Amino acid sequence: MKLLFISVFLLSISSVQAASIYAGKSKAAVVCSQCHGVRTTSAEAPFPPLAGRDKEYLKMALRQYRDKTRLSEIMNNIAGSLTDKDINNIANYYSRQK
Amino acid sequence: MKKIIKVNQTLMAGVASLFLLAGTVQAKSDMHQLYEDNCASCHGSDHGGYIAPAINSETLKGRSPTALRSLIMTGSFETLMPPFYGRLKDADIRAMVKYLQSTPKQNNPPWTIKDMKKSLKIYVKDESTLPSKPIYQIDSMDDLIGVAARGKYGRGNGSKAIFINSKTHKIVGEIDTGTAAHIIDFDPANSRWAYVKTDTAEIYKVDLFSMKAVRSIKTGYNGPALGVSRDGKYLMAGSFVPHNAVILNSDLEPLKLIELEGVDPDGKMVSSDSGMIIGTPFADIFAIALENAGQVWVVDLKDGFPITKIKNVGRHLHDAFLTHKGRKLMVASYDDSIVIAIDLKTRKIIKKLKAGCVPHVGGGAAVKVNGRTLGFGTNFGTCNNNTVVSVWDLDKMEVVKQIPVSGGTESPAAHANAPYVAVDIITKDRRARTIQLIDKKSLKVVKTLDVGGHAYFPEYSADGKFLYVSAGYAGDEVVVFDSFSLKKVASIQMESPAGIFSRGRVKYMTRGLSPDEME
Ligand code: HEC
Ligand code: HEC
Repeated sequence: MKLLFISVFLLSISSVQAASIYAGKSKAAVVCSQCHGVRTTSAEAPFPPLAGRDKEYLKMALRQYRDKTRLSEIMNNIAGSLTDKDINNIANYYSRQK
Repeated sequence: MKKIIKVNQTLMAGVASLFLLAGTVQAKSDMHQLYEDNCASCHGSDHGGYIAPAINSETLKGRSPTALRSLIMTGSFETLMPPFYGRLKDADIRAMVKYLQSTPKQNNPPWTIKDMKKSLKIYVKDESTLPSKPIYQIDSMDDLIGVAARGKYGRGNGSKAIFINSKTHKIVGEIDTGTAAHIIDFDPANSRWAYVKTDTAEIYKVDLFSMKAVRSIKTGYNGPALGVSRDGKYLMAGSFVPHNAVILNSDLEPLKLIELEGVDPDGKMVSSDSGMIIGTPFADIFAIALENAGQVWVVDLKDGFPITKIKNVGRHLHDAFLTHKGRKLMVASYDDSIVIAIDLKTRKIIKKLKAGCVPHVGGGAAVKVNGRTLGFGTNFGTCNNNTVVSVWDLDKMEVVKQIPVSGGTESPAAHANAPYVAVDIITKDRRARTIQLIDKKSLKVVKTLDVGGHAYFPEYSADGKFLYVSAGYAGDEVVVFDSFSLKKVASIQMESPAGIFSRGRVKYMTRGLSPDEME
């Protein structure tokens, strides 16, 4: 069960900005918010919210999804192509959202 | 933390059922229901497309079922297509793909006056029990701004009409609409009432003083068109599915059903989607655009509701705006890339004016500059990257300028007291996060604002001091800017906000004109 769609998409938008929150924002805004929202998840959807969560927790979760020590069909695919820098930026961005 | 734990449990249940139920065989009628309950509000009850593309055996022919399944699970990024992972069982998603690839576009399902009458729901029986003034603090009812919060899935708990005091930027009321709210129209004669129409053609009558829905009726399967007469006594609603329009009284009782069919500019008899419907301060009439027939009909609000048909207006009409005290109507025609000026008094075409690529004027905008009344028209399309906002002199009815902007546009905002005309860039990439500001005097783009989400439907507050913009699709806020400094002053959270409607519009008719002397 490979979600080619997501991986291809992620590759095409991977960015190299230095400003970490902005880089985190651009990735989060395009990809992650599709399921997790920016500030709130949909009242109708079964996705955990990310806004305002502990930064270290988010980093850990993403690393676990990436190395598949935490299993989720969707998140393993999405995190699979994230670099350490991406993970830092995104965790930084979401942890600051209220 | 509680919420997170609960959410994860539902999620686990969803993931578990994904494996347990794989292999269940679905009956066709079940699939039809599943489609109606999850997809039809965007893709059309007839599978013929609505605010999303047509999905049927023809349009999905030869597509890989695996790719379609992935797409339905994750949704399509930066569009309104939501992720159904964990919301539908995997077996259902697979069966849905099969069902879609084997189901042709359906005939128009009937929805008669009888069906409408049966669907009328009354939430407040005795309207005299409603409060005589707003139960919240507000200087003037014109300060109300209504936002169509679509909800991520176009239905469910996230779908609401949300009302905001545009001086304090605080929410003063929320109306659950079941499916995505699309249009909010205010009663010009009585500041108490607003009407909200959803993607699935329900109309809610809302008491703005108590912020409660008092009645609702279902006028069709899909279709956003809605107009309110200048005296507030009549409404008219039009549908894509089926092809008709209905006149109602203000108690939402249907009075007359009108079938939308006619001869198009190429001489073919066609059945037609309903385009815009508009009431005007000029007369007791409604104007309705027949999208596919290319005609504009003027309905007189008197005995028998007689209709005057204006033919050969354009190929694929959509929306329109009013000028000259509501006597002139500017109608956009997608396929000929023109905007047609119609005189509602003589009921004749005045002139066809050149627009940009696929004109979509939204609510339109008109401003007075140096003695001229200038109309602004946004254009959806991106023909060879030639993206412009059209400006016309509405007195002389001639093109003044085609202003280059960074992408396709959908809706302009203007206000007599604000220096800029705002347009939303909708081209599907990072540009969709932005709006551009056009200086009224120089007619040049002077600033681009990154709003976030999919930035669309800009609207000024009634006093012109603030610019509201939806950061929609996967975004979840309405962002408020100072009209002069263009600094962000507030953020109002909601799920997938779209159309923004100021009650001030009933005063100035078309955004940008002076509220003091209706022009
Ligand atoms: C197609 C939907 C989808 C997209 C897009 C998505 N996620 Fe997820 N995410 C999920 C699901 C489903 C889960 C729950 C998985 C599980 O059970 O562990 C999840 C869980 C998470 C968690 C764990 C939260 C917790 O409470 O432990 C984090 C962190 C996360 N996602 C981050 C991200 C980031 C960052 C992105 C963007 C790069 C992203 N997700 C994009 C669906 C998605
Ligand atoms: C809130 C609106 C909305 C809902 C609800 C919705 N869709 Fe969509 N869907 C869209 C939009 C918008 C697109 C176009 C996406 C794009 O341009 O990439 C789309 C695209 C699609 C496509 C791809 C079409 C193509 O030609 O590439 C499929 C298949 C699809 N949706 C299936 C579904 C199914 C099945 C459901 C219900 C389970 C559903 N959609 C519910 C808005 C919606």
